[in-house]
Amino acid sequence: MLHFIVRRVLLMIPTLFVISALVYFIIDLPPGDCVTSQIEELLARGDPDAHQRAEELRQLYGLNLPLWQRYLEWVAGIFRWDFGLSCQDTVPVADLISERMMLTIVMETCTIIFIWVVSFVIGVYAATHQYRWGDYVASFIGFIGLSIPNFLLALVLLYVGKVYFGLSIGGLMDPEYIDQPLSWGKVVSVMQHLIIPVVVIGMSGTAGMIRRLRANLLDELQKQYVVTGRAKGLPPMRLLVKYPLRHAINPFVADIGGLLPDVISGSVIVSVVLSLPTTGPMLLSALKTQDVNLAATFLLFVAALTVVGMLISDLALAALDPRIRFGAGSEK
Amino acid sequence: MNSVDLRYPQQTLVADYLRAATGVVLCGAPLLLLDVNRWLAALLLAGFGLFALFLLRTALRHRTRFVLSPDSLRAEGPAGTVVEWNRLDRMKLSYFSTKRDRSDGWMQLGVGSTGGRLVKVDSSLEGFHDIVARAAEAAEATGVALGDATRANLRSMGIVVAGQEETV
Repeated sequence: MLHFIVRRVLLMIPTLFVISALVYFIIDLPPGDCVTSQIEELLARGDPDAHQRAEELRQLYGLNLPLWQRYLEWVAGIFRWDFGLSCQDTVPVADLISERMMLTIVMETCTIIFIWVVSFVIGVYAATHQYRWGDYVASFIGFIGLSIPNFLLALVLLYVGKVYFGLSIGGLMDPEYIDQPLSWGKVVSVMQHLIIPVVVIGMSGTAGMIRRLRANLLDELQKQYVVTGRAKGLPPMRLLVKYPLRHAINPFVADIGGLLPDVISGSVIVSVVLSLPTTGPMLLSALKTQDVNLAATFLLFVAALTVVGMLISDLALAALDPRIRFGAGSEK
Repeated sequence: MNSVDLRYPQQTLVADYLRAATGVVLCGAPLLLLDVNRWLAALLLAGFGLFALFLLRTALRHRTRFVLSPDSLRAEGPAGTVVEWNRLDRMKLSYFSTKRDRSDGWMQLGVGSTGGRLVKVDSSLEGFHDIVARAAEAAEATGVALGDATRANLRSMGIVVAGQEETV
């Protein structure tokens, strides 16, 4: 196992470097820079010092330096937890992201727990009650969840909440708690506001997971050893839990790799629709204004969590099921 | 069957030394050369420890000679131990791969006898198949319970252990 961990970790390091370079250079590719739009505003207002101001801002953000030099400075800064200045408010990126990171982590962690708990219970129920009412209802929910885009569901819930229940669903807390220190009332307010975003963001993930768990478990339940176990009179719960369920939960473990980056990416579109103060809208705005330091830092976090998630899921799978796969080379 | 001396090939050891050295340098250099944030320093320190441990293990493998005989598997070296086949009480054969499709991986055999330490050998060891075959014979004779994965991996190597059929 040590050999496996070492090889996987060793692959992670160059992967992260390549991703960071690609992200940094690609964000900078479009013509102009983050100062361009600010200067256009000043020019539109008829400011005579607009061009001089632009030069000052470029020097402040280091935009007059070659791209490779800015990249190396940004990478060196990562080790000091200093990601440079954001063009949006001329504040350090580290300060800017820490404000929203905690709320995003709370929201996305709740979403992941929601996806796992709901899909596990419904998936197992649907597989063990195939072609019964419960299975049809679960399948219906699954198809609905897969086919409705999250942002559309968010819009529908906003409308229904406002028109029929008089509720304001947007945001992650009541207005009086914004920018206030942590208190019990604030925690309660966040928890109340979390319900809708968690359901909206988790809907498609839950639906997909239900379908996969149901299909995998049905495959296992139809195998010879289950039939033999049933014929021998094993209790149904023991027969289900001992082997079929263990094999069928592999997708749950494999999906950790895909779920972790979501913790940071903050479900961009849904967050914009529901006015959630998460990292998603900030990333979108950083990309639109070519705020390279801010956008690259977010995307580096997403990449880091992706590779860490993949490592965790690979380690868990290697520990759970260290079997050789026949014809693995041809499996894609 | 006579005793056979087995060692890890030079090529495998050099590759492992290179991996360990690369990891130690990549994790250690920022700690030495830069002013690192404490949380990142903890992360880098953990990576440094991991690669240092791997370096130590590779060095141990370099200095270890395995002697396979009809009665035992003896690891001779700094962390030497003996696995007596007639007292075998643990056997696990695992498969690892760093690729997403799980191809081009390697096997790892872990065997131990009563009162002795566990011996782990990788499939890069010369004569690995002979060790696995002998361990499987011993498992059959002593009735050691084998896991699902071990049975499947043994089958992939063309080795079937009687009395270890699937049970529910």
